[in-house]
Amino acid sequence: MSGAAPPARAVSPLQRLVQGAPLRQPLHVALVHFPIGLLTLGTLADVASRIADVPGIVRVAGWLLGFGLGAAGIAAVVGFVDWWDIRADHAAKRLGIYHLAANLSAVAAYAASALVRRPDLDAAATPGLALALSVAGFALLGAGGYLGGHLVYQEGIGVGRHRRATGTPADTLHGRERRAEGWADVAPREALGPGETLRVEVDGIVMAIADIDGRLYAFGEFCTHRFGPLSEGSFEGHEVTCPWHGSCFDVRTGEVVRGPAKAPVATYEVTARDGRILVRATGP
Amino acid sequence: MKAFLQGAWLGHPLHVALVHVPAGLWPAALAFDLLANAGVGGSSLPRAATFAIALGLVVALAAVAPGFADWVDIDHRKPASRLGLAHLSLNTLALLVFAAELRMRLGWPADVRRVPAEAVWLSVLGTILVAVAAKIGSRMVFDYGTSVARLSKDRWRRIAAEGGTRVDGGGDGA
Repeated sequence: MSGAAPPARAVSPLQRLVQGAPLRQPLHVALVHFPIGLLTLGTLADVASRIADVPGIVRVAGWLLGFGLGAAGIAAVVGFVDWWDIRADHAAKRLGIYHLAANLSAVAAYAASALVRRPDLDAAATPGLALALSVAGFALLGAGGYLGGHLVYQEGIGVGRHRRATGTPADTLHGRERRAEGWADVAPREALGPGETLRVEVDGIVMAIADIDGRLYAFGEFCTHRFGPLSEGSFEGHEVTCPWHGSCFDVRTGEVVRGPAKAPVATYEVTARDGRILVRATGP
Repeated sequence: MKAFLQGAWLGHPLHVALVHVPAGLWPAALAFDLLANAGVGGSSLPRAATFAIALGLVVALAAVAPGFADWVDIDHRKPASRLGLAHLSLNTLALLVFAAELRMRLGWPADVRRVPAEAVWLSVLGTILVAVAAKIGSRMVFDYGTSVARLSKDRWRRIAAEGGTRVDGGGDGA
């Protein structure tokens, strides 16, 4: 049993704003176009300065790096908030750290490149060290961007998040403590507020538990279409909508209300007893 | 060929990786021109803007075919399919606007410090077009899940199966 950590999180209006809920997309993803575009062009200008005679290009590249670094700094802060929000045991939590590390290294390399060239911005070509740092920065930026693409398209981070009114589960709870008749004890009842969800594992079965108007419902965590996380879904009445492709299920029966999913999700018995949430994972 | 354009070798969509360059650089070109006209940066910023428009055009052209390859996989009855057409149309217009502006700018001397109003207005128009198009593209991904978990569906199927989910109903689409 692990009811110690707060399993569901409140989400503040400021966090929703920084995460881009009013935009209906992650703000971080919109912002990163600017550093990626500007720093890429900066490196290209540095390389061009060594190949062709373009007067003033070192200064132009310096401006590009300066603006690119400023934009990267803003995007980083917003991205960190998105990372904070990822469930602790999600594979993307670690991937996000690599994404951050690669991009911060890129920023460091570009910043060093900008500093190295600063004494002679009217040089005919970007000096060797500044060029090397700029190219290294570009490689790191590519790696960071690649991992960012993985976070969205492989892991589904940020997809459909703006539709969710409450915070998403901070971790998966493991129902290891048993009561009579196969009930597993997963959390204190007060861990789950109205409109919130828990992500729970019992005997290897992963499920979502939702509090809808004070009543508890337990159902399969994975959408039956592309297996998106229903514990991060949005709720309307007794219907949960998958954040990824919008499949909608009735949490009382598990039946599909709206596709693309075709198969129902499993439902499980759940109850509140003596201030604890108990579930029975008897399988689908 | 379709798998290559969709970015199967990359692990995620090629189109969305490429579009960061024009979507970032074209609005930046407008910002550079406005800063230059405010007296910042001498001739460096108008030149940076010209380079930004040029690289944006090259990468935007490269992004068309991969974007189309992503689009043909969307079920035509779904809203994301029509959004994709609007996204393509507006981006094509943005591309034409910036191509016209680049032609104009290539005729300028290297030491231009003030950007003529007609070039600024073209950048404003192109930036609005690409911003709306990008917004539609982001709606396809973050509202409708286009290309999300497409290349990772086998891994998710395994994770879901291990977590006690029936995985025989995993469908196509989106």
